Amino acid sequence: MVLAGIASSTKWDRNNIEPRVREILDRTVRDRVKGPYRAKTAQQVEQILCRYFAATEGLAGITISDVVRMAGGASKEQFAFTLRHSGDSAGTKLILRMDPLEGITQTCRGRESQLHRAMQGVVPVAGIRSFDADGETLGQPGMIMEFVSGVTQPTEVNRVGVTGIGSRFDEWIPKLAPQFIDAYIKVHGFDFSQADLSYFKVPRAGTTDAAIWQVNWWSELCWNALVEPVPIITLTERWLRENAPVCDKPVIVHGDLRMGNFMFEEPSGRFTAILDWELGHIGDFHEDLAWVIQKLFGVWRDDGVFLVCGLLPRDEFLAAYQAQSGNIIDPGKLRYYEILNAYKCAVMDLAQAIRAAKESNNHQDLVLSMLASAGAVFLHQIVRLLREA
Amino acid sequence: MLPNIDLRLANCIKALEEVVIPSLADGERMAREQALLVIGHLRMIGGQWKHALRFECASLDAMSALARTIAVSDPGFGGELADALAAIETTDRRDIDAVEAAICRVGAAIDKAILGGDGILPLSPAAVAAILAYGEKQAFRERTWFKLCGLDPDAGELPPIEAVL
Repeated sequence: MVLAGIASSTKWDRNNIEPRVREILDRTVRDRVKGPYRAKTAQQVEQILCRYFAATEGLAGITISDVVRMAGGASKEQFAFTLRHSGDSAGTKLILRMDPLEGITQTCRGRESQLHRAMQGVVPVAGIRSFDADGETLGQPGMIMEFVSGVTQPTEVNRVGVTGIGSRFDEWIPKLAPQFIDAYIKVHGFDFSQADLSYFKVPRAGTTDAAIWQVNWWSELCWNALVEPVPIITLTERWLRENAPVCDKPVIVHGDLRMGNFMFEEPSGRFTAILDWELGHIGDFHEDLAWVIQKLFGVWRDDGVFLVCGLLPRDEFLAAYQAQSGNIIDPGKLRYYEILNAYKCAVMDLAQAIRAAKESNNHQDLVLSMLASAGAVFLHQIVRLLREA
Repeated sequence: MLPNIDLRLANCIKALEEVVIPSLADGERMAREQALLVIGHLRMIGGQWKHALRFECASLDAMSALARTIAVSDPGFGGELADALAAIETTDRRDIDAVEAAICRVGAAIDKAILGGDGILPLSPAAVAAILAYGEKQAFRERTWFKLCGLDPDAGELPPIEAVL
């Protein structure tokens, strides 16, 4: 029996949302008309960076070289480059991570940079040299990151998936799996009270803030972007609002903590960086767990057992997390966040990706329409989860 | 009419595979990825284009059937749903743009019913069941429509497109 459709005495408060998230969503709508967006050339990137480092760091004699576009990324343009100036003739290798006009999701480089800095020394992350949250100097929002070496997929494996989705790790599992669980423990166990997270708001413990803020974020993104109505997405929004669970203890939630976002060295397997903190926020630990156990990110072992992120059976992963973190997993909350995460994926694919591609506002519109064609996979998942809820 | 659409799509794929991609310099990673994606899209389009109008008409019929069900189960929304259904009666079903616009018109009325004025109006269990049944069937149709995208972990369970028209 699906619990949805209960009349409330008051309307939903769609403004119960983190202020910075609201700004990003409003900015998306405001700037949508500025398109179409064109992929940046290496020459344009060089010019942008020369101006940026002169303005932000007062550097002289700046040269930008070895500009190389990095692979992947339906949401951000990323370039590796070398910065030289009068005080650094040897050069420093850095990464520019920059927003196109629209991507598959809309997030904040200020929030992402603050999370990187907060997690430095807690888990391996790339250092942040600087960021431009509103694109005042870069011309579009972006961040400058230190270069970290490593791979996100073993060079030689039986099967490698797109952006780490569906990769098999086989003989790497003993090296990677313990670090993978440890990363969850450390991220969720981090005391963020003293960290500079001024772009974030902390949901009140013992309330439904954590869940409702997410629903308001993603439903707003959806309604601002939707090209063609999808009734099951709308029903899911209602269910999520009517069944929001209480969050007992807010933690740092990465938002996309799957193997494709872990960089490691070969052959040691030592993690060198956790990537892509753009969906990070303060919320319920169940949200990260529910994200990573999605079918999309796992593979089936030859004996038919499903492996979370190609590493561990689901029950083994959850049991190890619970034992090591001390966080007691509530199956009802885990199910709620599985539905919320499937909803997020459906909104990305069937609303924002299509809208960005339709407006021609991304550097890879073609990638977005390809990803959008997988949207029904999440609708199928949502129907199943709602019926089981 | 010669050359026909299938032939032209096949020619495009061959040109990309045998001329464009091999001539890309090693460093042109994004161009290579985009060219491969173009090939993927062209292959999907090749399997879809002959059925596109029928697929969209069936989608409109499914959405309209859902609207009629909700109008009965939740009569409070019946007026707007009936208006939307009436407005699409004259849709030219030979025109795919018109059919897509009709889907949007009916879908918007359904969405409004589901949201219930942002939670203050109830939605009946019968309506919820109908939306789930519609969602299950439509998701299956759309997964089948796009099964060549390569991102469906259960693509093996999907039938040929002709089965969902």
